[in-house]
Amino acid sequence: MDKWAPIAPSKPGGLSTTHALSARFASVLKPSKPSTRGSVSVGPSIGRWSEEEVLRIIGFLPISDLPNVARASRSLAKLVMDERGWEVRCKLLELGADTSVSPRRDGLQKLLPTPKKAAAFPSQHRKSIQPDDDFGDFSTQGNDTFEDVDFGDFEAAKPNGRGGSTKEQSLLEFDDLPLPSRPTGGGVSGARTTGFFALTPATPKPGGPFPSHPPGPYYRAYKAHHLSLLPLCQHLRSSPSPSSTLSLLFPPSPITALPPPLPSQSDILLSLLLFLSPRIQPLRDWGFLRQALLAAADRFDSTCLVAFEVSDEKKDEMGMRSAAESSWKVWEAGGGGRDQWECGRVWVEKREVFYDTTRWDPLENIVKVPTTTGAMTKQLDFTPMDAFMTHVLEAFRIDAQIANTVFPANARVILSFCDRVASDVIGEYIHPLLSQARAVSQDIFLQATAATFVQAWKLVDLVMEVVGEEQTVIHRTQVEDSVFQMFEVHLDEYLDDETEWVKQHLEEICRVWEQQPTFLSSSNPDQVKRNVLAGFRDALLLPVTIVPRTVTFGVNAIVTGSSQAVNGLAMLNPQKWTGSSGRGQLVKESDGSGEVVFAIPEEKEKEIEVGHEEEKEKSDEMSKPTPSESSLSVPETDANPKNHSRTPTPLPDEAKPFDRLQMLISLDTALELIQTDRDSLKRAETFARYPGRYGHKVREAIEEIFILMLKAAGDRHIAPGFRIATNQMSTYKPAEHEETTSVAPLLQFFELVHIGDTIQSMVQVYFDKELALYVDKTDFSNAVMREKKRFESVLDDAVAAGLNAGIEVLMNQVEHIILVKTGPREYYPVEGTPLDLGPTNGCREAIKCLEMHCDLLKGSTSKEVLEVFYQEVGIRLQAILQRHLKRQIISLEGGFQIIADLNAYHSFVASLKQQRITDDFSNLKMLGHVYIVSDAKDLAQIVRDVTRYGGTFTPEDIYEFIQRRSDWKKIEKTVDKAMYALSVKEDCVIM
Amino acid sequence: MSDSKKQTVLLQTSDDEQFTVEKVVAERSAMIKSMMEDLGDQEGMPIPLPNVSSSVLTKILEYCDHHKNEPLPAPDVNDADDSRRKTSEIGEWDARWIQVDQEMLFEIILAANYLDIKPLLDVGCKTVANMIKGKTPEEIRKLFNITNDFTPEEEEQIRKENEWAEE
Repeated sequence: MDKWAPIAPSKPGGLSTTHALSARFASVLKPSKPSTRGSVSVGPSIGRWSEEEVLRIIGFLPISDLPNVARASRSLAKLVMDERGWEVRCKLLELGADTSVSPRRDGLQKLLPTPKKAAAFPSQHRKSIQPDDDFGDFSTQGNDTFEDVDFGDFEAAKPNGRGGSTKEQSLLEFDDLPLPSRPTGGGVSGARTTGFFALTPATPKPGGPFPSHPPGPYYRAYKAHHLSLLPLCQHLRSSPSPSSTLSLLFPPSPITALPPPLPSQSDILLSLLLFLSPRIQPLRDWGFLRQALLAAADRFDSTCLVAFEVSDEKKDEMGMRSAAESSWKVWEAGGGGRDQWECGRVWVEKREVFYDTTRWDPLENIVKVPTTTGAMTKQLDFTPMDAFMTHVLEAFRIDAQIANTVFPANARVILSFCDRVASDVIGEYIHPLLSQARAVSQDIFLQATAATFVQAWKLVDLVMEVVGEEQTVIHRTQVEDSVFQMFEVHLDEYLDDETEWVKQHLEEICRVWEQQPTFLSSSNPDQVKRNVLAGFRDALLLPVTIVPRTVTFGVNAIVTGSSQAVNGLAMLNPQKWTGSSGRGQLVKESDGSGEVVFAIPEEKEKEIEVGHEEEKEKSDEMSKPTPSESSLSVPETDANPKNHSRTPTPLPDEAKPFDRLQMLISLDTALELIQTDRDSLKRAETFARYPGRYGHKVREAIEEIFILMLKAAGDRHIAPGFRIATNQMSTYKPAEHEETTSVAPLLQFFELVHIGDTIQSMVQVYFDKELALYVDKTDFSNAVMREKKRFESVLDDAVAAGLNAGIEVLMNQVEHIILVKTGPREYYPVEGTPLDLGPTNGCREAIKCLEMHCDLLKGSTSKEVLEVFYQEVGIRLQAILQRHLKRQIISLEGGFQIIADLNAYHSFVASLKQQRITDDFSNLKMLGHVYIVSDAKDLAQIVRDVTRYGGTFTPEDIYEFIQRRSDWKKIEKTVDKAMYALSVKEDCVIM
Repeated sequence: MSDSKKQTVLLQTSDDEQFTVEKVVAERSAMIKSMMEDLGDQEGMPIPLPNVSSSVLTKILEYCDHHKNEPLPAPDVNDADDSRRKTSEIGEWDARWIQVDQEMLFEIILAANYLDIKPLLDVGCKTVANMIKGKTPEEIRKLFNITNDFTPEEEEQIRKENEWAEE
């Protein structure tokens, strides 16, 4: 509890000096009765109230109530005079402190200032808002300007003159009055009382004891101001109508017979507006006066407007400016009630740019062009809108520059001008264009939406250019808002259409591909993958042209489905990665004993042509290699010596169904998907800066677009492809095929895995490049991140399921090879046959087959998957070999062959670097020894020695294996005896 | 969000009553707010308010609860700038709420000052100002429960001094 004590005084700091000062008066005050405040209140008090609270209360009092409060008691009188209260009031009136050193007594207050003078004061004072103004030349300037000021001179004098002296209605004029009670205490109370009214004009005693409180500078400033405005208030009170108020307030000068200039009039009105405010309540009837004043201010506004218009016609920017500023000041101070500043509004409304819109036809942006087939199709060409925007922006620039010089910055005329131009000119142009585009087709609508928005956005940059970025009155966001608001009506429709469009097109791409699969020969998957990714990154850097224009028309106008990807991606044409062999030719790829033929269908050939044509069209945009010298081409690599191109020998597809396995998913299609998606994304991205609710919607749409692509690529393309592949593999019968070392479906499945992996990398690159801006990668609950994870797991699952089937196929093949290639007497050679010291043919073939397939998988799938795959291979191979051994008849000589084979298998398995299965194979190797031991007793010994086989085999297992020995019949008894009979002898005791 | 809403703070008045108050409500008081910040999250530790009685706190909490969703005034706006935005009007709800006897009004202002609830302090002072409006010096003395310590001459002097403001 104690630790709270220091915090208890609630008002430390700033007021301490006041407290110290006022403590001196404590003795005159009526002792306050004890209150709950206890130790908290240190300062003096009025009754139970602390000085500070009373000061605050007085601050809220109308001026007219202050005299009575001051008369209530000494302490209250002091508080009424307290500078803190007057400072607040002066600040409200935008008055500076009256810092004249010695109050002069020349101006008696009953001598009210003439209207002329009154007019002069406020403006002068409002120029001295800063209390630290330099008052140095005050005394010399002040008097001169005072008496015979006329308003022309006044204007000139204002900058340096400190007319403030004129309001020297000294508060001490009563120094001259006979003050009966000067020495109240008759000297008894000493210095304090003698000082009571002891002020002499020459030597005021600042800080003397009560009540010798000389009025502070703020008090004097307020009082002078108050008194100067009183006669004006009298006019307000007596005037029959607003217009007569103005002529009363601003009588024509006797010299020129003209009313004072507008800026001085506005200064006076502004002073009055500040003065007659609810916060100050200077007079009892201030409310009534304020109403009259506001009416007059309205009137004044119209006067200014007329003056402004006149100047405008004369192209007199100075005149416009002064009229505008006068009008604005008064309007601003009047606050509320009126909706828009008339002068600015009228000016904006009269801008020419609003009235010449009829000569621009927005529908010209939709043009008919012949397509390649000769039919007419409607497309977008924004050349007309370019011209329109150039015109509008130029007109805007000229007017905005005038506005910038003529209007006060705070009036934000440029902003409302920009607002009007955005909604009434640009908006009016865009609306019919978009509704027409929508009627033509969704493609055109989507493109037009993004394009028109980009066009409209130019306005923002122009406004900021005119007003300058460094000013603080018009913020960029406000300008942006006007364009955003204008466009908002189209946004819902656009976003809905955009996601719909993406969905449809992605579906279309998948469907087209399913009907007419394209083919991609890949002699070197790794190289292809690297090239694809490198090229793909470049492709993502290609600019997407949002606003279509004539030059790039053929390229950028949205065209239908499949060719679109080629449009943007001509340089990425997958054909170019796959080899330099003549395009449109069939590439035959063969390896070793088997043949795998990848046919390039004719349709693909056309696409290359299309891409070629479009490239030419695009060449003004970017230079890039023609297909024949494609930089992306993969040299028909010699890394794999088994592969080489052959003359085309097309084989019918149905003859070799597995040859098409690899084509079940296609990089080409994935590219199209991503490219189409990117087009859409880029369009949506145009709106990414939208704030608030629509901004949220835009970002959602962007996420949705990406998610749709993931779904199309994952669920629609990859997953079914893998499923078919898996099914095909599970129906593969090794016996029906001649090849031995390569399993066609598996081989191609591995290629499939490669492609799947490449697609995933492409998606990742796409994500990193285009989407990472909008998505928090660390937010795992984000829809995009979830969907991306799901996409990856779809692929992983597909790969895993495929591998599962693939292992089956592979091991069947291996078993098949071993079965077929192992001769009947392989391990039981005819006596005297010279021993071949290498492994058998079947063994070599099987290992070759295994090695090839295991290698293929490297680098295209995750390490975990690979490990599982290898282990599975090892475990199954072990089983196959055991089965295999048990089918053989093995002689002692053949035993060496067995050992040679087992050694070969072991070294293959060891190359997989899977510790567990390597151990198993070491043990299997040991098993070979049982075939080369000739002595039956020794054999039995080996069989029983479990530790030799590391626990993989029990004696019973081994016993099964030794039964395959060619001499088994001969040694069976001995072995049995050595193994079991001995035990019978030792263990079974006949009782 | 719902979590922070439920967060409460324990306040202990001068007469040793304890109040469990939502933090958003208690935060109206700049004093309690800074105390809570200093205190951190010490559960169940009551904040003592030795200058506020339970009856006044009840009343003030009513006010704080009603205004809990308004933005807090900036902590160090100086009074002059602050008053620019203020009007002399008292809000409708506030005006009804502040209809209390003088003793309570005094206590409220006192507590508002101590607890540093600026808007409440203004409501209280405006109410007192309204009471002063149009009153004679004698009536004002009565209101503040003070006596006239002027000599008649002094009082006359003060009257003259402020005559200009009478209109």
